[in-house]
Amino acid sequence: MSPGGFAGNTIYVDLSTGVIEKRPLDLGLAEKFQGGLGLCIRLAHEAISPGRGALSPENPIVLGTGPLVGTHLPATSRLYAVTKLPTSGTVGWCGSGGVNFACMLKNAGFDHVVIRGRAERPVYLEIFNDDMKIRDAGHLWGKGVEETDAILWEKYGRPTGILAIGQAGENLVPFSMAFVEGLATLGRGGFGAVMGSKNLKAVVARGERGIRVADKKRYKEVSRAFLKSMREYPYLKEWQDLGLVKSFPLVPVEQYKAMKKRRVACVSCPVGCKDVVEIPDGEYRGLVKGTSSVINLYTPVIYGFKDYRESIRFMALLDDYGLDMFEFFGIMGFTAELTRRGIIPAQDVDPEIRVDSLASMSAWAEKISLRRGLGDLLAGGFPGILEALGPEAEPFAPSLVKGMHPYAGPGSSLPWDLFGTMELGQVLDPRGPHVGAGGSPTYFAKRPLEVFPKHLRRMGVPEGALGRILQKGEAEDEEGILRVGRLLRYSHRWFAILGSLGVCARAAINRFYSVSACAEMAEAVTGFPTDPETLELRADRSWTLLRIMNLRDGFSRNKQETLPDRWFREDGFKDYATGDPLRPETVEKMIEDYYGEWGWDLETGAPTPETIARLSLEEESKK
Amino acid sequence: MSKSKYDVQVNPDLCTGCLRCGLACSELYTGAFNPLLARIHVKVSGATCEILFTEECNACGVCADNCFFEALTKTRKEAQA
Repeated sequence: MSPGGFAGNTIYVDLSTGVIEKRPLDLGLAEKFQGGLGLCIRLAHEAISPGRGALSPENPIVLGTGPLVGTHLPATSRLYAVTKLPTSGTVGWCGSGGVNFACMLKNAGFDHVVIRGRAERPVYLEIFNDDMKIRDAGHLWGKGVEETDAILWEKYGRPTGILAIGQAGENLVPFSMAFVEGLATLGRGGFGAVMGSKNLKAVVARGERGIRVADKKRYKEVSRAFLKSMREYPYLKEWQDLGLVKSFPLVPVEQYKAMKKRRVACVSCPVGCKDVVEIPDGEYRGLVKGTSSVINLYTPVIYGFKDYRESIRFMALLDDYGLDMFEFFGIMGFTAELTRRGIIPAQDVDPEIRVDSLASMSAWAEKISLRRGLGDLLAGGFPGILEALGPEAEPFAPSLVKGMHPYAGPGSSLPWDLFGTMELGQVLDPRGPHVGAGGSPTYFAKRPLEVFPKHLRRMGVPEGALGRILQKGEAEDEEGILRVGRLLRYSHRWFAILGSLGVCARAAINRFYSVSACAEMAEAVTGFPTDPETLELRADRSWTLLRIMNLRDGFSRNKQETLPDRWFREDGFKDYATGDPLRPETVEKMIEDYYGEWGWDLETGAPTPETIARLSLEEESKK
Repeated sequence: MSKSKYDVQVNPDLCTGCLRCGLACSELYTGAFNPLLARIHVKVSGATCEILFTEECNACGVCADNCFFEALTKTRKEAQA
C-alpha cells in the first residue's frame, strides 16, 4: 500500500538567488515526525543556523500542512510555520486555520515550503500545480492585507489560498502577523516581520492535483462513524450559530445576530468558527469585516471603546496593517504611562494616547505600522522600547514573558485569574505567551476535577500519569490538587498530535477527537502503521526537538522561562483547583513538574540522554 | 440532473465555504479529494456566496449528504410529486 495523504513534495526557494528546488518528501522523516507541525519542526532543525537573527536572510520560514489536510475528515485544514521569531528570539511554531490555503497548497503538490534568503525587491510566491514562481510584488507593497488579497483574488480567482502581510510586516514590526485570506492569523511574535524581512509580501497556492488516501475502505468506515458522532452532538447547531459568542458574554447575542452576515469555515470544518459581519447602522454602516472570531472585534471594548461599531472599525484597520492586537494595546498603555511619568516627552506624543478612542488608536496604529515619528520607537515592541529608554522605563512595563505581553491573566487583555494549562503555557511554550497549545479541561474555569479523567484519557494521558496529575487531598473532604505542570506536558503533546496531522485544535473541534481516533485516521490515510502509542511517540519527538533547537540557540530556563511579578500580587492569579493566591514557588515547581513529566532535566530543561534515546533523537541532538 | 432520484436545493446564505461538498464529490468521481475537481463549485467572497454545478453533475446528492450547514439539501423526486 503506497503512502497516502501526503502531497509528496517539499519545495525550497532561496529568495536571494532565485533558485527553486523541488524535492520528494522524505517518507522516513514523514513517518518519524508524522507530518504537519512535527515535520515543520524537523525541517526547521535542518534549515536553521543557530545564532542567526530572526530577521536575517539566513532565518528560514518552514511552512507545512499535515497528511489529513485536504481530505474530508472534519476540520483538517491547519497550516503551520516554524521559524525564529523576532520578539522572543526563540524558534517557535506558528499555527493558523488554513481556510483554503492549506488545502490548496497540498493540491498544488506540496506538503511543505522552505523559504530562505531575501529578495532584492518585493515579491510574492505563486505555487500552482507542481510549480513555484517568484513574482514581482511592487504593486502590492505598501498595501494592507485586504487590498492585497483583493488584487490577488482578482488575478487568480477563488478559492485560491493566500497568505499575506500588511504594512506592519513590511516595516519589520516585531508584533506583526501574517493573515490567511484575511480571516486567520499566523504568527503572534512577529511572523509578519520575518516575511517582511525577506521582501516577501504573500504566498498564493492553488492546484488541481488530488489527495488520495492509502486505505479507502478503512477511511470510509472511520470517517463515516466520526462524522455521524459530530452530527449527533446536541450542541452542534449552537456552536455553528454562535461559535465563541456562546461562552463569551462580552458580545451580546442580539447585537451579534444583527450584524452577522456569514459564518465561515476552513476547508472541511463542520463547525465554522470564523465570522463575516456587517455594521448595521451608524457612521460605519455597511462596513463588512471578516475575522477569525467576532469576539476579536470586541477587544477594543475591553480597553474602553464605548461603541462596538467603532471597535469593529478599528479592528478592521489593525488587521489590515497586520498588527497583533494584544501587543498593540499593551504598548499603547505602556506608552501612555511613560508619557505621564515624563519618560517620553509629551510633545512627542501626538495625538494624545487614549486607548478608548478610535481616532487616537487609529493614528497610532498607522504611526507604528509605517514607523512614523514616535511610532518608529514603539514599533520596536516591548524589547525595543526598553532597550531604547533604559532601566528608567522598566518599572512601568506590564507583565512580560519572552519579550511579549501575556494575553491571558491579571492585567492582560483576557483578565481571568485561574491558573490552568493555557496560563502556564504562556511561559513554557517556546514561542512565548500564546495559549493555543496549552488547551486542556482547564479551558473551562472551575470545572470539577472529577470530570478530568475522561478528557485526559481522550488526549492520550497514560493511566499511570492520571494520579500524578490529579492528586487526592489528604483528608476525605480536602480539595484535590491539580498538578498543572504535569498536565501541560500532555496538553502540549496533544496539540502536537493534532498539529502534525493537520487537525484544528480549537475547543469546538478537538473535543470530538481522541488519540485513538487520530491513530485510526492517520493509519487509514497515510498507510503508516500507527497506533496511539506511535502517534504519541512521534509527537513527543517533535515537541522535544523544538526544545533541542532552542537550547542549541542559547535558550536557558533562567533567561527565558521567568515569571512576571504581577501574577503574584493580591489581585494576581489563583490556584485552579483551590482558588488560593498563586505563589511564585508553586509555579517554579510546576515548571519542574513539566520538565520531569517530559523527561527533561529539572534544572536546565534539557532533554536527558535517556529521553533522547527513547525518542531516537540522537542524530538531531548532536547538530 | 434529470436521471437522478434527487433534487438538490441550494441556500447560499447558509454556506460557510467549508467545501465539504466539493471534497466528497471529487472523491466520489475522481478517487481523490480536491474541491477544484468537483462537479459543484462554491465561491464564498466575504458576505456573498455563489454555488454552481457543472454540466456533469447528476444530482446524486453526495454534496448535500456532506453539508453540515443546510446550505445544500436533497429531496427525493418521488416525494415531491
